Amino acid sequence: MSSKIECDKLCPEWPCEQPEEFRNVWVIVEAEEGRLSEPSLQMLTPGRKISDKLGEKLVGVLVGYGVSHLAEEVIKYGADEVIVVDSEAFKTYYPRVYALAVVELARRYKPSVIFIAGTKRGREFAPYVANTLRAGITADCTDFDVDVNSRDVLLIRPPFAAILLAFIKTPFRRPQIGTARPNVFPVPVRDESRRGEVIFEKVKVATENKMRLVSRKEMARMEVSVEKAEVIVSGGKGVGGPEGFKILERLAELLGGTVGGSRKAVDAGWISEDRQVGQTGKSVKPILYIAVGISGTAQHMIGIREAIRVIAVNIDPEAPIFNQADYSVIGDYREVIPALIEELEILKARGPDAAKEYMEWLKTLET
Amino acid sequence: MGEVYSIGSRREVVRVRVVVGIKWVPNTQAVRFDLETGTLIRRGVPAIVNPHDLPAVELSLRLRDEVGGEVIAIAMAPPPASKGLEFVLGMGVDRAILITDRVYAGADTLATSYVLARAIQKINAEIGDVDLVVFGQETIDSSTAHIPAQVASWLELPYIYYVKEATVVGNGRVRVVRELENYLEEYELELPAVLGVAIRALKPRPVSLSMKLRTKFEKRLITWTNNDLKLDPRCTGLKGSPTIVAKTIDMPEVPRRREVFKARDAREAAKWIVAKMLADEKTRELLYRSLWGGRG
Repeated sequence: MSSKIECDKLCPEWPCEQPEEFRNVWVIVEAEEGRLSEPSLQMLTPGRKISDKLGEKLVGVLVGYGVSHLAEEVIKYGADEVIVVDSEAFKTYYPRVYALAVVELARRYKPSVIFIAGTKRGREFAPYVANTLRAGITADCTDFDVDVNSRDVLLIRPPFAAILLAFIKTPFRRPQIGTARPNVFPVPVRDESRRGEVIFEKVKVATENKMRLVSRKEMARMEVSVEKAEVIVSGGKGVGGPEGFKILERLAELLGGTVGGSRKAVDAGWISEDRQVGQTGKSVKPILYIAVGISGTAQHMIGIREAIRVIAVNIDPEAPIFNQADYSVIGDYREVIPALIEELEILKARGPDAAKEYMEWLKTLET
Repeated sequence: MGEVYSIGSRREVVRVRVVVGIKWVPNTQAVRFDLETGTLIRRGVPAIVNPHDLPAVELSLRLRDEVGGEVIAIAMAPPPASKGLEFVLGMGVDRAILITDRVYAGADTLATSYVLARAIQKINAEIGDVDLVVFGQETIDSSTAHIPAQVASWLELPYIYYVKEATVVGNGRVRVVRELENYLEEYELELPAVLGVAIRALKPRPVSLSMKLRTKFEKRLITWTNNDLKLDPRCTGLKGSPTIVAKTIDMPEVPRRREVFKARDAREAAKWIVAKMLADEKTRELLYRSLWGGRG
């Protein structure tokens, strides 16, 4: 167990609390338009793992308006218990109001761990929750574990632009708060037969009188989001301009996928920000990731760790991507990608029987 | 709120005092892999102003240019970060404060935000009312996006992230446009408030020579140490940080096949890629599905 905290050694701005006073693993579950948000359900996956390791309960916390009926769903996705605050005060989301509701519940229940999905809203309210509790917070975790001796949670994240992996602990403070980007963890398997307790709570959070939502417009959604795509044809600085992305789009279409881009391609305005792959963009897990004109910086590569296969096309023989891809060719994408489209179209027209010829050709290369 | 007065026309003019936070970071783009050994070359990485802070500086300058007032840049960092503050002074920031002390070293985001918040309170008390506190959305070296919300929490101020546009609207308020994954939202916040400015929200203006000279000849950069802020050392630096880095390791490599084909021409390269996709059981089914709608 953790050692006893000596109060006079702590910052006087922090409450003096012993880690033993805290118990259970919380996942803040967000709801929008009457549905549970997928990224927050994903956080139940590490939540289940850590609560099992600690031998504590996994508790879903659902704060919103008209959300009570969703509580049972949270249990089916793996929670043992759900705390619901359903009030008109949460009809419009304001970061402080939402955060302070979580703070009030955390002070009442003293959870040992709080996991929050790193959606844009989650990244906005989570640090306010942590700071108001004077608790530690670790952003963009890629994994969680438990130190079996101290029972401290290890929050594992890539600082320094994804070059390092840091194991972070908060031994003197509870709760231990961590966020993870969407799609780092899978949504748990739904179990219709799971039962658990639903607790309805009230909070005294004041309304937000210092800010007001003036308007809200839904933006056009992408046809295929990069997070869901099985094939992503992604372009980087080497693509050289927006017209190059037209060629990548044709390849993506042929393979039933979508296009993505590196930070440099987004910075240059060649592709929209919602398709950015990497540390400041999305984490993706396609079956096939085709990196075109992407050099392979650590901050980009961390976004495709879960890609099953990576194909790289780059004109620069020194590009680090060649060290981190499955199949690479050195060459000008302006020639290679159109040739690849043509090759696939020919294969498509000839039918599956033609596949054998390719295998035989590969064999001749090996000999 | 700063003073409100009118200048002959019906238009109300509101002066704003904006504090903008800057981080001095290693230029992570300059970190390279050693292709021979497969390790990282971390030595000699140059430091720069966090690129995501520059749109925040630009937004602050535009607000000041629009309604008058001043922009004060702050950074909590070791002394070399004064170069970063000189850079933003060169962009047109009015003055800059380097907050530096050994007792601030090793701070996590909570301890950093504590020092920044107390410095902002000191600015408010000694220089004048602070109307807006502006930060870049996140940093390139650690990307936590914690600081704006944490500072707002210490100061108990309203705050909002992902701001793309901001306008001071006469009645002591700022109107902002921000973007979530699927929504474009407009909010009005009462001043003082804290803003996190979206990455790429605005194109930062270049450093101008005249501003740089102004910086050289007038003493626009001052330093505050803990003698000035007088903070309890238990609340700063490593001691004031609830999070502890237990260990770091190099990012484990994902096992990849690393097959590089030296093709004679693009045609051969394309043929090889298709052949590999067909030969590889991980991609074969996908290819069959996308080309012929069936299984491999």
